[in-house]
Formats: sequence, C-alpha cells, structure tokens
Amino acid sequence: MSDERRSVAIHVPVLARVEGEGALDLRIDDGDISELRLRIFEPPRFFEKFLEGRHYAEIPDMVARICGICPVAYQVTAAQALEQLFGVELSPWARAMRRVFYCGEWIQSHSLHIHLLAAPDFFGCNNAIELAKIAPDEVRRGLRIQALGNALMDLFGARSVHPVGVRIGGFHGAPSLSRIQDMRDRLRDALPEAEALIRWAATIPMPQDDQAFVSVALRHPGDYAIERGGIAASDGLLIEAHDFDAHFAERHEPHSTALFSSYRGQPYLVGPLARLNLNHDRLPERIQALLAESGLALPSRNLFHSLVARAVEILLALQEALRLLEHYRLPDSPWVPVTPRAGIATGCTEAPRGLLWHRYEMDSDGCVVNARIVPPTSQNQARIEEDLRLSLLNFGLDHADEALRLHCEKVIRNYDPCISCATHFLRLNVER
Amino acid sequence: MKPIRILGIGSPSGDDQAGWLTVDALLGTGVQARDRVIIDKLDRPGASLTTQMEDAAWLILIDAMQAGGDVGRIRHFGQQDWMQYGQGLSSHGFGVLDALALACALGSLPPRIDLYGIEIASADPGLPPDNRVREAAQRLARHLAAELEQAAPSH
Repeated sequence: MSDERRSVAIHVPVLARVEGEGALDLRIDDGDISELRLRIFEPPRFFEKFLEGRHYAEIPDMVARICGICPVAYQVTAAQALEQLFGVELSPWARAMRRVFYCGEWIQSHSLHIHLLAAPDFFGCNNAIELAKIAPDEVRRGLRIQALGNALMDLFGARSVHPVGVRIGGFHGAPSLSRIQDMRDRLRDALPEAEALIRWAATIPMPQDDQAFVSVALRHPGDYAIERGGIAASDGLLIEAHDFDAHFAERHEPHSTALFSSYRGQPYLVGPLARLNLNHDRLPERIQALLAESGLALPSRNLFHSLVARAVEILLALQEALRLLEHYRLPDSPWVPVTPRAGIATGCTEAPRGLLWHRYEMDSDGCVVNARIVPPTSQNQARIEEDLRLSLLNFGLDHADEALRLHCEKVIRNYDPCISCATHFLRLNVER
Repeated sequence: MKPIRILGIGSPSGDDQAGWLTVDALLGTGVQARDRVIIDKLDRPGASLTTQMEDAAWLILIDAMQAGGDVGRIRHFGQQDWMQYGQGLSSHGFGVLDALALACALGSLPPRIDLYGIEIASADPGLPPDNRVREAAQRLARHLAAELEQAAPSH
C-alpha cells in the first residue's frame, strides 16, 4: 500500500436498494475524511401538517400512507397514543391481535430487506436478481416468508399496502375462524424455514467492524417489545413515551429533509440490532438456543449483525403470531367505544426499522391541533453518518474509489433506511 | 394440469385501476367458469408478484402504463421486450418488470407470458378512472376472452 496521502471526492448521486431517495457525498483530503454527508433530498411530505384539524377516527388511515413498507407501525403507534389519552381499555382480543398484525409487518419488511436489499452486498451482487442466480433457494424462501407477512397484514388490514383495519378502540372487523386456521397452518409451516434462514444468515461473511454506540429500543417486562413497552437505552435509561423530549432532541441539518436526532447530544442506534442488544433476554428459549448456535455474541457492536438480527426477529414474529392465534375466538365486538378528550397523546412502538414515536395535541372534539412524528430513520441518520466515518477508517481510505463507494452503500443499506418515512417539513427562512 | 393465471395489477388511485377494470370486465364474460382459469386483482404487489406467478402454464398480466401515447392505447409486450430489464433500485420502485426479472433469475417464469399495458393519464388518489381507460379495459377484456376461447375452446 502506498504511503502517499491522497485526496478524493466520491459522490453517490442516488443510493440504490434503500426506501426512498438519498445521496452520499464523501471528501477525503490528505488521507482524512473532510466531508461526509448523507443527503436526504426526497421532498418534504408535510404529513404532520396534513393531520391538523383531522378527526381522530381518520388518523389511523392517514398515517398508514406515510410508508408502504411499515404502515402498521404508524397505525398502531397513533392508535396507542390516542387510546391512552382517551382512557380506552382495549379488549384482550384487540390487544393480542394488534401484536399479531404488527408481527406480519416485521416478517414482510425484514424478509424484503434481507433478501432484496441487503444480502446482495455480501455476495458481491448488484441486486437481488443477481443474487437469485447464485442463491435461488434462499431467495425463494425469502419471498415465501415475505408473502406470508403480507398475508398476515392483509388478514387484519384488508390489504397489505396501506391497510385499513385499525380503528381507535380496536379493529374494524375480526377475521373468520377458517381464515385464522389457514393462517396458523402457514405460520407453522414457515417455522423451519425461518430457522434455516437464521442459520444461513449467520454463515454470511460479515465485515468485522467494532464500534461503540448507544442502543435505544422499547423494553417490556414480559415480552420482546414490539407494540408496547418503555423506552430503554443501553446506558440504563428507562422512560415512558411522554418523557421522550426530555432525553431526545431533533435538529435540522441543511443537507437533509429528514431531521437528525440525538440522545444526550450524541447519535444513537434504533432498529433490530438495538432491540436484540437490549432485549435478547426476552427471546423464547428456542430462539436463544439458535442464537447461541449461530455464534452471535450479544450485545453486538458490529452493525453488520443487523442482518442476522432481522432473521432472528422474523422467527420471533412467526412464533408470536402463532402463539397468539392458537386459541383464537371471534370477539363479541372487535372494538370498544371511544369518547374523545382534549390533551396531549404520546405513543411509541417498534417499527421494523426501530423506535417510532408519535405526539398529538387533541382538542375536545377529538380533532388534531398539532402532530409530531419521529420515525426511526431520522433517529438513525446521525448514527449512519458516524458509522460511515468509523467504518471507512476501519476499512481503510486507501481503497479504490469504487471499493469505498460500495462499502459506504453497504453501511447505509445495513440500516434499512426508510427515507420516505423520514422526510419532514423543512423550516423556510426568507430574507428580503 | 397447471392453471392459466390472469392478474390485474393496480391501486385505487384514478387511472391506476386499469388492470383491475380489465379483470372486472373479464369476469363479466364468464371466463372464470372455465377449468384452470384463475383471475385475481393485485394491489401494488411488489416482489410478491414473483410468488404469484409460480406454477402457471400461462400468465397474463395487465397493468397501467405511462409511455407518452394516447390515453387508452393498449400495448402488448412479449418476453423479448423485458428480458434484459434489471434495475432493482429499491423496494419502493419494485415493479412488474423487476418481479418478472426476478422470477426469470429463479427459473420460475411460466412458459407463456403476455403482458398488457393500458396507457393512462394520471393516477390521482380519490379520482375515478378516465372514460378512455374504462373503454380500453372493456376492449382488452373482449380480446382476452377471445384469446382464451381460441386457446382452449369452452365447447
């Protein structure tokens, strides 16, 4: 390797295999990184403004439109926040089915990311189509698992894209016993496939990249937290959703239409690896045994282990859905009545990509005065930039430009950033 | 015997219902009563389209398209038109051609595939489909019913 300290500028104008549109600018001067910016330029989407003045009954369907991949997360978080404010006690049936519904989203989103977005990077492929040529059985298995996740979303949401099943107080309808029986059979059949997926994921060679970071995820006393729990951090923090603003801050950066988040002034990680790091003791025994067999030591400081974490969470979601559907009965009513009240509603759940936080100020008619949504990708954005810096230094800046570009893309894709979800209204300053 | 699978692809947004309208019109002809004919409407299936086409002897896909032509124009695409396609940009943009290319790589393409596009004006949420798109869907349904009759006469 040459001792010459070179200068290079790398621009990735459009990041491939991520949700939405972003870009990366990297400048190396005299062998040091002088500029590194993950630019999110997808247009601001004004969703929080759209919600103002809307009646609470419209909110679940409106927020489902924020993302085509994780609509359930938005619906369930909004419902959780508003139900808490309105003093609604969900029936045990509705509470359990919310978790099942959410499991469907984890299954489809994680399988999509593993097989179509992330895995090609680790096999030297440009895309899933190339991967399918060298690992057809694994890709087929991934598509089957993804389709099952979609079917589970469709079961409770009437469709998997922007589902419409959730209402404040429960669900609009309850699936028939015969449909649930069919789903149970499919879930049972998928369990060995998901176990095989974990074993396969654990054998994929990953770069060794040891980094120190704070993991943030929901934590629940009994469950592996998905749709409920307090907000926990790997430094010992454990708070309720309404205390989010006391510990976490958002800021604008000029190069991004997504907000950047920080915890105690520092970047932090949300998502599957953060969840696994904090909550692996909540996994069922069978999955803990598979993890031990895989050799993955937790907590992990290597972000590339996110792919295995997604595989683990697919199996967890399949098991959870099956467990909760095992003694399924049709409810007397899939929802309970709701009486709105004025106040501040906050909610927090674990979207496939990580912590999702909502805050609504409601008036006494049940209409939104203002709304704030903090999605996982904006929480991860500062961490991605930090990771890119550290990871590039570990990788070595003397690599050829193409190798550096590929490494950066691999790091970014590893977070499964959902850029469409993360784009916010950007403040406009006019000087005259 | 493997089925003939006819899939109308779309969304509830305005002219993007072109594939669904065609399937509705086709159902009106009674072709679904034939053996081995499976007709479905799919709502933005993305990668799951790949699994939907498995085990079909003949796959007919109908989708909306914007190719700069007159609204209501129907185009037929053969395998040679999309075999080399392989963008794979993102799951947000994972469309019909990506699903076909992925199925091709997996060796799971049906032996016969007919892809039809109906030229649309716009796909605006909340708006009804353009009348020219409705007429095209009726026209294409009649064409498909005749093709099915020719390929496998009902009497």
